[in-house]
Amino acid sequence: MSASDIEAAAARWVDDHGECLYRYALVRVHKPEVAEDLVQETFLAGVRGYEKFGARSSERSWLVGILKNKIVDHFRKLGRETSFTDMQFLSNEYSEKFVSVGFWDHEKGPHEWRPGADEVIHRTEFWQVMRDCLTKLPQKVRDVFTMREMDDVPSKEICAILSITDSNLWVMLHRARMALRECLEMNWFDKPAGGRA
Amino acid sequence: MPDEPYNPSPVGNPSVLARRNWWQTMLVKFIGKHTPKCREMVRILSRSMDEPMPLTMRIKKRLHFLICCWCQRYEEQLRYIHETARQFPEQADEVPGPPLSEEAKERMKQKLAEQAL
Repeated sequence: MSASDIEAAAARWVDDHGECLYRYALVRVHKPEVAEDLVQETFLAGVRGYEKFGARSSERSWLVGILKNKIVDHFRKLGRETSFTDMQFLSNEYSEKFVSVGFWDHEKGPHEWRPGADEVIHRTEFWQVMRDCLTKLPQKVRDVFTMREMDDVPSKEICAILSITDSNLWVMLHRARMALRECLEMNWFDKPAGGRA
Repeated sequence: MPDEPYNPSPVGNPSVLARRNWWQTMLVKFIGKHTPKCREMVRILSRSMDEPMPLTMRIKKRLHFLICCWCQRYEEQLRYIHETARQFPEQADEVPGPPLSEEAKERMKQKLAEQAL
């Protein structure tokens, strides 16, 4: 592939995928300039590795995959600088949802979701609710959750990157899932415009 | 109430077993006693999203689901979140937010062009 071909392809990537990569990066790192750098690095890595990109996946998944690695590297560098806070959030057991012996209070247990699973992911409103629910999590908890569930990093690796213990990780993921489930239910699945439409 | 580990009203309870008669009551009590309580079960379910659940726990989970449709829903919903969340990155441009500026795009194109030469 000639230099001009790569140049043309790269310019097209910026137009086709730049927005998507940037917004995801921004959700993860919160700083526009850092997000922009990560996207830039992703494209550069893309140009260098273009030979290796077969048509196995879509161009976008391939680039998003590179970006995920860049984000994980970014957190790896940050790792030891952040401290473990958010104890208030983590100690919230949602105990009001359980009766004293530890079973669900039937009135407050999970509602039935009718997601229309395949259709929902193409709906802007759903992703907006998802992002807003994520934003409500304390930052460290959100970092752990997104790294695990969106970037698909194995849990052992997350412990190493963020230097937290196994049990801390389980607690954070459990609370994050509980809070996110609750938030999605309230703001999407229980709404007439949501999954029940 | 040591003999009453679980005493849900069967009214409006969609679980498979819900103390609707004597036999069910016995079974519900037995299962309630020998499987983790819901508060613990939701922790276990979360953890099973990240590492495999031991066989004995898988069996207990199945039994527990017979008397508790809420934990069963909870698991389905965790899976649902797990499946959808990973699709978020590729859909990120669907979410309204501060866009990537035209200047930034130009900067990127320029750097990429330099790199390609």
